[in-house]
Amino acid sequence: MSEYIVEMRHVTKRFPGIVANDDVSLGIKKGEIFALLGENGAGKSTLMSILFGMYEPDEGEVYVRGKKVETFSPNHATELNIGMVHQHFKLVSNYTITENIILGMEPQKKKFGFLPVVDIKNTNKKIAELSKKFGLEVDPTQKIENINVSMQQRVEILKMLYREAEILIFDEPTAVLTPQEIEFLLEIIREMRRNGKTIILITHKLEEIKQVADRCAIMNRGKLIEICDVAETSTKKMAELMVGREVSFTQEKTPCKPGEVMLKVENLVVKNADGFPVVNGVSFNIRSGEIFAIAGVAGNGQVEIADAIAGLAPAAGGKVILDGQDITNSPVKARNKMGIAYIPEDRQTWGLILDFTLSENLLLRRYDIAPYCVNGVLHREHFTEKSEELIEHFDIRSGQGGQTIVRSMSGGNQQKAIIAREIDLDTPFVIFVQPTRGLDIGAIERIHSQIIAERDKGKAILLVSLELDEIMNLADTIGVIYNGQLLKIAPAETMTSNEVGQYMMGVKE
Amino acid sequence: MKSTKKKSNLFLTIMGDEKRQKITIPLFAILLSLIAGAILMLSLGKNPIEGYLSLLKGCGLMMKKNYAGGKGMLTDFMSFLDIWTPMIFAALAVAVAYKAGLFNIGVSGQMLLAGFVASLTVGYSDLPAVAAKPLTIIIGMIVGALAGSLIRLLKYKFNINEVVTAIMLNYIFQYIISFFILTYYVHPITRQSNVVSDASRLTLQNVQIGNMKSVIPLGFILAIVAVFALSYFINRTRVGFELKAVGANKKGAIYAGINANKSIMIAMALSGALAGLAGVTYYMGYVASIQPKVLISTGFDAVAVCLLGNSNPIGIVASSFLVTIISKGSIYLNSSLGLPKEIASLITGLLLLFTACDVYIKYRLKKAKDHLEYEEKEAQRYIEKYGEQKKEGEQ
Repeated sequence: MSEYIVEMRHVTKRFPGIVANDDVSLGIKKGEIFALLGENGAGKSTLMSILFGMYEPDEGEVYVRGKKVETFSPNHATELNIGMVHQHFKLVSNYTITENIILGMEPQKKKFGFLPVVDIKNTNKKIAELSKKFGLEVDPTQKIENINVSMQQRVEILKMLYREAEILIFDEPTAVLTPQEIEFLLEIIREMRRNGKTIILITHKLEEIKQVADRCAIMNRGKLIEICDVAETSTKKMAELMVGREVSFTQEKTPCKPGEVMLKVENLVVKNADGFPVVNGVSFNIRSGEIFAIAGVAGNGQVEIADAIAGLAPAAGGKVILDGQDITNSPVKARNKMGIAYIPEDRQTWGLILDFTLSENLLLRRYDIAPYCVNGVLHREHFTEKSEELIEHFDIRSGQGGQTIVRSMSGGNQQKAIIAREIDLDTPFVIFVQPTRGLDIGAIERIHSQIIAERDKGKAILLVSLELDEIMNLADTIGVIYNGQLLKIAPAETMTSNEVGQYMMGVKE
Repeated sequence: MKSTKKKSNLFLTIMGDEKRQKITIPLFAILLSLIAGAILMLSLGKNPIEGYLSLLKGCGLMMKKNYAGGKGMLTDFMSFLDIWTPMIFAALAVAVAYKAGLFNIGVSGQMLLAGFVASLTVGYSDLPAVAAKPLTIIIGMIVGALAGSLIRLLKYKFNINEVVTAIMLNYIFQYIISFFILTYYVHPITRQSNVVSDASRLTLQNVQIGNMKSVIPLGFILAIVAVFALSYFINRTRVGFELKAVGANKKGAIYAGINANKSIMIAMALSGALAGLAGVTYYMGYVASIQPKVLISTGFDAVAVCLLGNSNPIGIVASSFLVTIISKGSIYLNSSLGLPKEIASLITGLLLLFTACDVYIKYRLKKAKDHLEYEEKEAQRYIEKYGEQKKEGEQ
């Protein structure tokens, strides 16, 4: 037992409608790099959040250095010398690096012998030394707002080192980094191991695990599948384990009967706020009656493709042609009228106006046309009529029907409302981005059959999903995106999920 | 522990569900500020009930003991309507901007500019009443709309924060106008701007009603029309719907194909136009001249009024009614009870303070509700568990 610095025994954690961790037991040795591999929603982050004290397990026990953990809180975890670098950094942007690092435990000195002040000068020195020791290369006097993402991540790492963390958890540390920065980070991680730290790496990128990790736990749907020795296991084998041999359920689907090309995307380039091309020269066609699915790990540019087609993000280059018309620079409303319906990834930020009623949200695409609006005046009675029809037909459940404030509805019903509204537009082209994220099995099944029904009506469908199962179940054609480029476009039946998984990791060229 | 739980339950029952809370929370804020005001008056050795009654008496809502010749409850009431009018307009101005997600703190400045320009163009002309009064209104609206749009334009073109622009423009309007008044339009005795013509004024002066001489504020009729028009605009028109959508969720509005920039521009122009109406009904209605270097507080009080009225036009009628009673009635409070006039500003300030606590009150209510639900759930779970154990035992 004592060979493990961290031990988790039979840990189970449930969230409403989902078991995030199902009877997980594992041990982590001192001084190793331990990787947690799994798809989105496999339960890796939840498991580590338990270790860091952000959640309390419903069942099971956690031992650190052989002692049972009784209280679960990040403060207690810090006392146990556990540190975590979150996916989203928690930094004060107009403070310097040093100020951020010492926040909450400011070293004091007495100026003129009595005036208590924060001792920045000495701390700067201390942090510069610490940074040098681990090869982090940061200038402690710089402000967070002036440094890039990679540097900010290093500040988070320093923050843990400064608090003398011995066990360091990294949650998807490479998701925001460029390939060169990833190299650099992995080198830092190795350096920390040389200094005797224990490192836990949460990731879904096989390549990185192969490069740095000693052992790797593979998770799927909340369950621990296997713990393997990285040196002795091939990436292919790991990918297989990660995706899982068993497929939960397959959707009944008739063969695709594609018609004319409905959407043509040519050399599309989309840049993010920093001017970095997140979509870099993507081309594909979608025909009527075809489901074109984009598979890929989160953050590889798939959402930006959908945004650019729908008009929410400007295209920095290339063309989007809908039914023969160039819509690259058309405003959103014009695109809708020409025939694009869009179910966005972030339903609460983009897809709905949470403080509006369900009825208003269901009419968000049509409020300005007759009979809902005549001569600039809204006709609420038609709103009610239409929304009642949609609520009935799509089985949207809410407290007060059409008059319910959408904010008070459940996520599943919010998503149903968006899908109802968009499908009801009856456009020849529909974009679904992560249509089943966070929904329970029943709702997922219903949405999947709706997507197929739309295809069978002869609509062209673009499906963007992070769930490989979803893509394998629904797609007629699969395009795999990696680093803003489509690595592979092929008919769905010619690819296995393992192959798609390998393209997603950028393993297969 | 148990007693606090029970108390919060009672509170929850009184305050009602989220829909009812829209009304009960402002009422609760009013109650709190009246209690605080009462304590204040008590500490000054006065009877708070008498104090509050004298506020009503000062506004012509209750009979005073005695009146001067040619005065009566009606004259007090008409004068109350006269000062209530600009407050309604100003609060509507804040509300329409707020609906679109903007904070127009520049209403006072926009009022001043509109009042000044209308005074120059119409007030100092010889135009007959039939032409002068409508012109005053139209010019007030246009000038206000331009001033409001300017704030948005600076944001759009140079990304200058609206709040900062509005506050700075308040000063700029105030001092530039003071300069012109003191240089060209100053009355040698009053040291205010020259009085505008009666023909251009929106409040009829010295109208004989029975044996009393009263004012008749024509602007009040306009204000009531504006309340219903704005209510209709926000709730029933396409442009109003778009404006609300932008205010509630800008990204969601853009997704729905709404031109957010256009909506915001419309909101600011409309807000400015309403502020302009507040300006002309004040400077060319309630009073007839402008005091240089003074920015009246109506535009700032309007923020409190708007929040208290839930930025709903009908709610604003009620909240501005209340706030105007306090400020207008304070003059009589001062003369009848000898309490300082400033007490009115104090009560209004407290009102704003308690109104601004609405998020906190909502939070407490939600917490109490969640706590209740949690306890219920726990009880349910306990029953289930207990039941299961029993079953196992039976096996």
